[in-house]
Amino acid sequence: MTEQIDKALAREYEAGFVSDVESETFEPGLDESVIRRISQMKNEPEWMLEWRLSAFREWLEMEEPDWALVDYPKIDFQAISYYSAPKSMKDKPKSLDEVDPELLRTYEKLGIPLIEQQMLAGVAVDAVFDSVSVVTTFRDKLEEAGVIFCPISEAIQKYPELIKKYIGSVVPKKDNYYAALNCAVFTDGSFVYIPKGTRCPMELSTYFRINEQNTGQFERTLIVADEGSHVSYLEGCTAPQRDENQLHAAVVELVAMDNAEIKYSTVQNWYPGDEDGKGGIYNFVTKRGICHTNAKISWTQVETGSAVTWKYPSCVLKGDNSVGEFYSVALTRGRQQADTGTKMIHLGKNTKSTIISKGISAGKSNNSYRGLVRMNPGADGARNFTQCDSLLIGDKCGAHTFPYVESRNPSAIIEHEATTSKVSDEQMFLCRQRGLDPEKAVSMIVNGFCKEVFKELPMEFAVEAGKLLEISLEGSVG
Amino acid sequence: MSNTETLLSIKELHASVEEKQIIKGLNLEIKPGEVHAIMGPNGAGKSTMGYVLSGRDGYNVESGSVILDGEDLLEMETEDRARAGLFLAFQYPVEIPGVSNLEFLKASVDAQREARGEDAITSADFLKEAKAACKQVNLPVSFLKRGVNEGFSGGEKKRNELMQMLLLKPKLCILDETDSGLDIDALQVVAEGVNSQRSADRSFIVVTHYQRLLDYIKPDFVHVLSEGKIVKSGDASLAHELEAQGYAWLQTAPAEDELEG
Amino acid sequence: MSEWLESAITRAQSINDWLAPKRANALELLSTTKWPTRKTEAWRYTPLRVVERTKAKSIDDAAIRLLPVAIENFSAIELAFVNGKLDESQLTNALPKGLSISLGQNLSDSEKAQALSAFSTTKPDRHLFGLVNDVLAQDVVIITVEAGAEISEPVRISSLLSQGAESHTRVQVSLGEGSRLSVIEDIQAQGESLSTAFVEYNIAAKAHLEHYRFALQTGTNVSIGGSHFSLKDHAKMHSTIVSFGSDLSRLDTDIIHAGEFADAKLNAMHLLDGKELFDLHATVEHAMPNGTTEENVRGIVADRARSVFNGRIHIHRDAQKTLAELNNRNLLMSNTAEINTKPELEIYADDVRCAHGATVAEIDKQALYYLQTRGVSRSKAQVMLNFGFINELIDLMPNAALAEWVRPIIRERFAQMEVK
Repeated sequence: MTEQIDKALAREYEAGFVSDVESETFEPGLDESVIRRISQMKNEPEWMLEWRLSAFREWLEMEEPDWALVDYPKIDFQAISYYSAPKSMKDKPKSLDEVDPELLRTYEKLGIPLIEQQMLAGVAVDAVFDSVSVVTTFRDKLEEAGVIFCPISEAIQKYPELIKKYIGSVVPKKDNYYAALNCAVFTDGSFVYIPKGTRCPMELSTYFRINEQNTGQFERTLIVADEGSHVSYLEGCTAPQRDENQLHAAVVELVAMDNAEIKYSTVQNWYPGDEDGKGGIYNFVTKRGICHTNAKISWTQVETGSAVTWKYPSCVLKGDNSVGEFYSVALTRGRQQADTGTKMIHLGKNTKSTIISKGISAGKSNNSYRGLVRMNPGADGARNFTQCDSLLIGDKCGAHTFPYVESRNPSAIIEHEATTSKVSDEQMFLCRQRGLDPEKAVSMIVNGFCKEVFKELPMEFAVEAGKLLEISLEGSVG
Repeated sequence: MSNTETLLSIKELHASVEEKQIIKGLNLEIKPGEVHAIMGPNGAGKSTMGYVLSGRDGYNVESGSVILDGEDLLEMETEDRARAGLFLAFQYPVEIPGVSNLEFLKASVDAQREARGEDAITSADFLKEAKAACKQVNLPVSFLKRGVNEGFSGGEKKRNELMQMLLLKPKLCILDETDSGLDIDALQVVAEGVNSQRSADRSFIVVTHYQRLLDYIKPDFVHVLSEGKIVKSGDASLAHELEAQGYAWLQTAPAEDELEG
Repeated sequence: MSEWLESAITRAQSINDWLAPKRANALELLSTTKWPTRKTEAWRYTPLRVVERTKAKSIDDAAIRLLPVAIENFSAIELAFVNGKLDESQLTNALPKGLSISLGQNLSDSEKAQALSAFSTTKPDRHLFGLVNDVLAQDVVIITVEAGAEISEPVRISSLLSQGAESHTRVQVSLGEGSRLSVIEDIQAQGESLSTAFVEYNIAAKAHLEHYRFALQTGTNVSIGGSHFSLKDHAKMHSTIVSFGSDLSRLDTDIIHAGEFADAKLNAMHLLDGKELFDLHATVEHAMPNGTTEENVRGIVADRARSVFNGRIHIHRDAQKTLAELNNRNLLMSNTAEINTKPELEIYADDVRCAHGATVAEIDKQALYYLQTRGVSRSKAQVMLNFGFINELIDLMPNAALAEWVRPIIRERFAQMEVK
């Protein structure tokens, strides 16, 4: 039975193709001159370069963290190229017509047409290809509403005051090893600003694509939701199928001002490596948001890709009555390793957080939830509820739960529960007795297990996530 | 119906669970439209029979044959037997958290229709049918949205099984102790549901420990299963006889068999 | 490395006795061990400054006589360490049949060899102070229960320390097949003392251990210890741990399911006041199939006290059909107090049922006020409203005399704690 289920989880990695694009790629290696070149390529002002260099100097002094339950060979940071961009992007295309059709085809193949007429009307897209943003759609429509949605490289030039004010304000430069590295070498990513009292008229999304070999992708996203505003943002990621591991170390910062709300959803489908653990992306990501008074940040993630995932989208609940949420589905199979979870730091009064984590482990994979809930002395009346459920498929995988609970306030209430279960023989038998084949049965049972999280995804994405899991669960049963 | 003579034919079936032989030479013939009751003491192999016929993992057929509507049932996977028209109403239906009843039923019906080469039913039509089925078994329509058997009471689970039967329209239904744990009102609802489905091209195997259910679902034949085979067959009156005498007399039956043999 | 540890190592180097091979091994491990900092996971919430600053030292004064507390309606086979040395004058003379208690150095050569091979096998090497105990343990006591022997009278192991004393006590208990034994570990220390007290239990097939560990002293001492259990096929253990805090009170428990169908129950309660710290690290290793574990850990923390709990359940690849549950409940009574809890599951087998839950709740101030307006004293109201969750665990203690002895002590302590 287990074997059947595991086979049902097997899949082809559909985003594993390579685009034939001529790129300009830095030689591998990392020193201050590389950072200067990146800054130069991006036409950055002097202050940005100084910021990068100071982060780099901090990074040199830092040590790679080893507390996560993941095992991978030591990364040679000198063997990675820190910049790669299609040559066609050198002279910034003014419109879609000027963009290399091969790039457009790449996104179309991934199911993300960039031609506005073909797109879902409600979603604006920033498409990031290796180290550059290829195009950002619906910008005019968003500008009408006062919403800024553009590549962060462009924002650094056009909105320096906003960037100076907020970059590094949520995730400090030396927050951790990978965050510091990102500060030094980040190439592109998205910037979003929602003005006061504005409800963003459409879903915003960024699709990250790694294409070039031996390059790392270091993207940086900054979303600022000003007072009383509202935005829903989606993020997707894919990469070609290669035998070498590639590094992806991103930083995402969210700022939700008083009464603002940010909903941040991720469908992470980086190449996971093959059955034997060859290749795949190392996904070391720092995501954190700060909530001011009455603000709300909701993280939803569906993690099916990457060889190694190290990721803890977090909320600092600074303002009174602010709310943090974390909904996560992490599926690992083959030799994948995921160590993911969240941190909820309660500072303000009556702050609330909810954590729902669903981990599914199959094959020879390891899947860990790691989380922190901290109630500081000022967090009067704060509440947390955490539910971590693991589903194990087979006896060669592992499912782990490492929750840190720290309370320093007597009026705060924390509840944490964790369970583990398996797809039972009885459930499989019932489904098959009703005429379902084993693949469909597994996919249905696993989907049911994840339901609480899927219902948090925005409509446009729920379909995609459902499809992704469907693909994940497809396969032949012998 | 390709074969109007016999729907199900079980011949000299021997089957085991975890190397322990439970079914020891079972013979049974069922014609379309017939209702057969299988009675017997605990441990006689009544539930095992349903699991063996539907192909549950771990239930191993050692010898014998089972033909359903002209097809060799034992050669088929569990889901193919279901698609061939075999339905098992479980004694203890399992919960599938997070999967709604409606989603589950639609998937089942779709799979079965597809296997038969029929067009898929539209969601709207299916919802209409499902609502009607709910009504018929006296379950609130809201149960369609709830997880499969999730948090259902014993009686609700049994009625949910029946609702699935109404929607899947099988050729052969095995009701495995569907009466256990039901009060008299729930029993009547279940019986009415079954009776409404009786037709010339649908047969039933009603497995029960008590005669009570058979007051509501009138069987054409009653068989007594003991130690893995049928030791006595008769008409509905046999059930009353059993009710009056209990199963104690069966304990001596094998000895008699041996004498005769 | 700290000066304290360096001095411990230096002192250990001059010890040469029957444990020499084990001590040498531990010494080697210690010499490569880093002194814990905030980044050391096992000591994340428990700073060791008080160890670094301790003035406690080894006191070898035969004139000092300390006695364990008397417990009403309760008699036991007494085994008392005074400042780390076994006080043989207190040892019960006539032991029941099937039970033997000996000092390691007094064993016959063959017994020594056996004791040596079992030494430090149940206690994992990762415990820093376990290694310190390995190298510095003064008197090592070996308790053996013969196969099939059912010892009805409990054995009480008291570790008694006088003001400013440093002690390192070590006991090795082995229960033969099908035997029964009840052991009470009790630590009673006076101020500014430092003790490490480690006990290893090897529980053979079908044997049954009833275990208690009381650390009800408070104040300025440093008390670090461990109780480590290995369970063979169908073995059972039931452990109750009651602790108050001190400047530093740390306990590591390890339960290893080394046989199939073993059953372990662990109930721990701690009540912390003042600026006390109590740190319980409880690890359960399910190495074999069909084991069951049930753990209940409950704490009340007031004033400036800090509680640390780490409850790890590790289900190994082969441990199919394991049932393991951990429940941790806490009550925080002041906003200068701290609760740090981390229930962990590490699971490598699929056909298991494992769950943990942790809650931190508040004292219902409104209900407290309501009772006070009706004339109930604050301390009484507090006990009425919140003592139940501790009381439940006292009720589960198999030994009624011990339960009735400890219940009023705990209740009184709780009544004294203030809501802030």
